[in-house]
Amino acid sequence: MKRRSLLKAGALAGTLSNLPPAIRYSLADTPAQSVEQLPPLEGELTMYLGRGEGGLYESILDAIRKRNPGLELGIRRGETAALGNTIVAEGKAGIRRADLFWAVDSGAIGLVDDAGLARALPKDLIGQLNPEFRYPHWAPVSGRIRTVPYNTERLTAGDIPEQIMALADTDLKIGWAPAYGAFQSFVTAMRLLEGNDATIKWLHDMNSRATSYAGELGMVMAVERGEVDVGFANHYYTLRLKSGKPDARVDLAFTKNDAGCLVNASGIVALGDGDLPINFIRYLLTREVQSYLAREAYEIPLVSGVEPPQGLPSLNDISPPAVDLTRLADLRPTLDLMRDAGVL
Amino acid sequence: MNVHTIYISLILSALLLTGQAQATGTVGDHVNDLQGNLDNYTEEVHWIIDKVDGIVNTYQARGREAAGADGVVDIWEAVDFHSAIETNNVPIYASIWQGLFGVKTAIDNQEHIENVREQQAMLEQSLWQALGAVKMAANYQQKGLLATVESTGASTPVETMDEIKQLLDRVVAKFAEWLPDEATNIVHDTYLTRFEGVEGMLIEQDAALVEDLEKDFNVTLPLAIKDNLSVDEVRGVVLAMQAKLDHAKSLLVEAEKNRQDVF
Repeated sequence: MKRRSLLKAGALAGTLSNLPPAIRYSLADTPAQSVEQLPPLEGELTMYLGRGEGGLYESILDAIRKRNPGLELGIRRGETAALGNTIVAEGKAGIRRADLFWAVDSGAIGLVDDAGLARALPKDLIGQLNPEFRYPHWAPVSGRIRTVPYNTERLTAGDIPEQIMALADTDLKIGWAPAYGAFQSFVTAMRLLEGNDATIKWLHDMNSRATSYAGELGMVMAVERGEVDVGFANHYYTLRLKSGKPDARVDLAFTKNDAGCLVNASGIVALGDGDLPINFIRYLLTREVQSYLAREAYEIPLVSGVEPPQGLPSLNDISPPAVDLTRLADLRPTLDLMRDAGVL
Repeated sequence: MNVHTIYISLILSALLLTGQAQATGTVGDHVNDLQGNLDNYTEEVHWIIDKVDGIVNTYQARGREAAGADGVVDIWEAVDFHSAIETNNVPIYASIWQGLFGVKTAIDNQEHIENVREQQAMLEQSLWQALGAVKMAANYQQKGLLATVESTGASTPVETMDEIKQLLDRVVAKFAEWLPDEATNIVHDTYLTRFEGVEGMLIEQDAALVEDLEKDFNVTLPLAIKDNLSVDEVRGVVLAMQAKLDHAKSLLVEAEKNRQDVF
């Protein structure tokens, strides 16, 4: 079996040719802005806000409100997918209630974008984002990377295969949370990258010996306890566990250029007219908000010049696969595959 | 915490769950005008008590078959008061179901009449408690407090902790209604859509507490329901979880105080 060391020097080799399709949306780079450079927000805005991130998005919204007393911001909260469906349904009925949609995953963004409801964003705003996260109709706000958390008492990073598909051929004890949205996005990415046949075979092989958990933090904790050797999870669960338990017996490994190291993102769409929704998005891309998300939520900043969360390598040192994140909205075939494989 | 605070907390929080209650399709518009329906609810409570007393009297006089103990559930489901308490105080709502099935089971098992009367007395106590809670809710509804909360929803981790506690009350209620699958679904949904969103922050404060609650959500409580323990035993698991959630809440409050500002 091909083994490797974690994040070897030179892992970046070839990265530029493997960046997601968004990079082809070529624009001049615009430096990340400070909130001090932005115009005040005045007027009424209604935001549909996907539930998640433990309320930290709410702290950001409160801070924006406090800084902009002339802004009347109404918020409708709900599950991200449900809100995305609501926006599409409202659009079909010729109604628009939301001026902005901040979703915790890009799949729901794709749903709204595909329905033709998302406004085009100005080039200077898109140019603030790192090249691989530039999309014409939505702005990724913060990222999270799929990882392979492993038990450090049993394994080293070199014991983890470079390719996610190869994990099915190991004798490692594996944990997963197949009902979890982030896991299903990961399988969707695998389906897009490897094809249906390879994906269902992988699911089938893994299903015969993987232990299922309800959520990914619970699964990471199981890795730490040694209940399983490795798992599949977004990076921040491990970082947070290690923050609360510094001697936790778990660390992160990254596969290479496949769904196992997919970088997904939360994102925001402007639906309403005028400058106000667009300017609101600018606040989310400021150095201050991006730093806050990295510091408090362990999310990956997506503008230049902001440090990633402590304990996570720079995106430049990881080789994520080329996947148009909005295509992750196409969940139905993924769920069909997972059911066919007996995973769900 | 004084009695008023407790009631406000219960009432306001229960309203957050109104959407779920409505999902059963049994909630009428009357719950939006509790004050205007108090006389009706009071009459219904008297009616329920009389009807159940009739069943118990028949059991005492003519035995199990003549009593038709299944009727206690039909009686309860026939009244508007059912949804009035379900949408305003889930813990008492659970106690009513516990009392209804207490009477029914005691009759079905042909227990001594004293045991049946004991269950009947517990049911009546829960019904009067429920009427008091609905009157209090009507008072707050008139002041506009309930509608305000309903449209806001939990927006902070601390509020989410309260929401989780109320959803766990609903787990007990559904279990007391003899709807174990529904109770289990609420446990799973609460974990995935509420607890999972805040446990990342919590684990930075107390990893062992999160480990404990993870086990409660994914093993202890579902197993208590699956093993068909008594309502009191399931309630005991939930109360223990709620105490842990209170501790978690206090940790999150402290963490929030230390958090740096966004700007």
